[in-house]
Amino acid sequence: MSRQNPLILLADDDPNIVDSLAPFLERAGFHVMIVADGQSAFEKAQSHHPDLIILDVLMPRMDGRETLRRLRQTNVWTPTILLTQVGEASERALALEEGADDYLNKPFDPHELLARIRAVLRRARPGQRSLSAAWLLTSTELSLDRRARRASLSGQALDLTPKALAVLEYLMTHPDEAVTRERLLEAVWGWEYPAGTRTVDTRMAELRRALDDDPSQPRFIETLPGEGYRFVADVHGEG
Amino acid sequence: MGKDDLNRLMIKKPWFYLLLLSLPLLLGVLASVLAQVFWQPVPLLVFRIDIGMVAFVFGLFLSLLLAAFATGMRRKESQAQRAIAESQRQTEEGRIRFLRRLDHEIKNPLTALRAALVNVRECKTEDERQRAIGNAGRAVGNMIRLLADLRKLSDLGERPLERLPVEVPELLQEMVDAAKSLPAYQRREVNLLISKVPSPFPPVTGDRDLLALAVYNLVENALKFTSGEEAVEVRALEDGRAIVIEIADSGPGIPPDELSKIFEELYRGANARGIEGSGLGLALVQRIVELHGGQTEVRSRQDEPRGTVFTLRLPVRK
Repeated sequence: MSRQNPLILLADDDPNIVDSLAPFLERAGFHVMIVADGQSAFEKAQSHHPDLIILDVLMPRMDGRETLRRLRQTNVWTPTILLTQVGEASERALALEEGADDYLNKPFDPHELLARIRAVLRRARPGQRSLSAAWLLTSTELSLDRRARRASLSGQALDLTPKALAVLEYLMTHPDEAVTRERLLEAVWGWEYPAGTRTVDTRMAELRRALDDDPSQPRFIETLPGEGYRFVADVHGEG
Repeated sequence: MGKDDLNRLMIKKPWFYLLLLSLPLLLGVLASVLAQVFWQPVPLLVFRIDIGMVAFVFGLFLSLLLAAFATGMRRKESQAQRAIAESQRQTEEGRIRFLRRLDHEIKNPLTALRAALVNVRECKTEDERQRAIGNAGRAVGNMIRLLADLRKLSDLGERPLERLPVEVPELLQEMVDAAKSLPAYQRREVNLLISKVPSPFPPVTGDRDLLALAVYNLVENALKFTSGEEAVEVRALEDGRAIVIEIADSGPGIPPDELSKIFEELYRGANARGIEGSGLGLALVQRIVELHGGQTEVRSRQDEPRGTVFTLRLPVRK
């Protein structure tokens, strides 16, 4: 990042939201540029080269999804957080096509947004496609075909439930990042409840069995006590 | 032309319908006139039967038959329409009831939030300010919980159900542990009884995460509506056709007139007022069990020995 303080382009048509979020982000050390519709976001993203874009989905003139799609079509790979939720398989494939780097569901805690921004910026490789937009993810002998919803280990197809596959997908697109159980619940399940964290642990156990990954000496998924999980191996994206 | 087309025609063009009905009769009359003018009576028969008369009677009979048939069809049609109107009215009533309850559920946290904001602005001491901020946070939390549960409920209809074998005993243990790990319930006892004889517990086919949510909601409810001295029990057995899961408590019980309503969205019984919750927990339970092809039942007593039992019946995997 060339600038001292990263520039964030914040696109949301609700003045109450941007009016509260902008000062919050500025206090956290970012420059914030505000636009109220997709068309302006599209133009500002090309003219001002922000370090990160936050797009609301429902906006006048051009919605957030369309804005992002058009940016990616014009080869703008600025890391982007979309303010919505990734839903079921069909929607997830769509999300993949959009190439957002992360998703956050309203109403979110501003601190959660900050955590997402920092993680995305840390992962970003300027000017390059991010892992979130890659169809095929590989990490040593593990590969995940996101379009076909298939994972294999050393060429051997893995028998995973759709949920476990989605968990693996989230971890692999956010490598080397401490992912909390709550975050996984929101991103993969779409909802949270007090017993949900146990639900995550159950799927993680399934995933580890399939990957033949020993939690005490993890090759892929590491448990961070009191925090969550982290995908520790290097991940490469294709397509 | 199908039956439905005919029906539509009858309703839209009554003159055409009348014409159609009386057509055999008209033809009969016409035939009888023609026969009298042009034809001679049949000489072969002893009782001379006038062909025209036969045609007339036949036409009359056919017209009556058609009329009876058409009247029957019309009656059926109007019955069907009444049934549709009735179900539309019920849907509409349900919708209005839901909106009224939703209005109420949003009003409370908003009122709290508003008051808290006034206090933040006008308070004199730091203590007061902190308390106001805490209250605002709780009000927001309540609204977020309501919204999250509304979303779960709407999601249930949309997302495909996972259909995999689920080990019920393990799931029940997990959810009991999860509920007991909440700070408010750490000292509470929950008995878990799982029948083991004569055969191991068969798995049910379903969506583990959703079944977990249903069980959790019921266990948490049981703990929420009872106090330290009252018992909570979770039990499961197989009765040959279904897996029966019961969540029982010896709490104050539910009034009989409320029993049929507690599964409604956002319904709050007299006992539930002032107790935290989105008002959607039981609606979610019922919806999840229904999606698995099962049934939800509740029985409750307010006299000694008092208590409430929620029963979930889930079909066994074949």
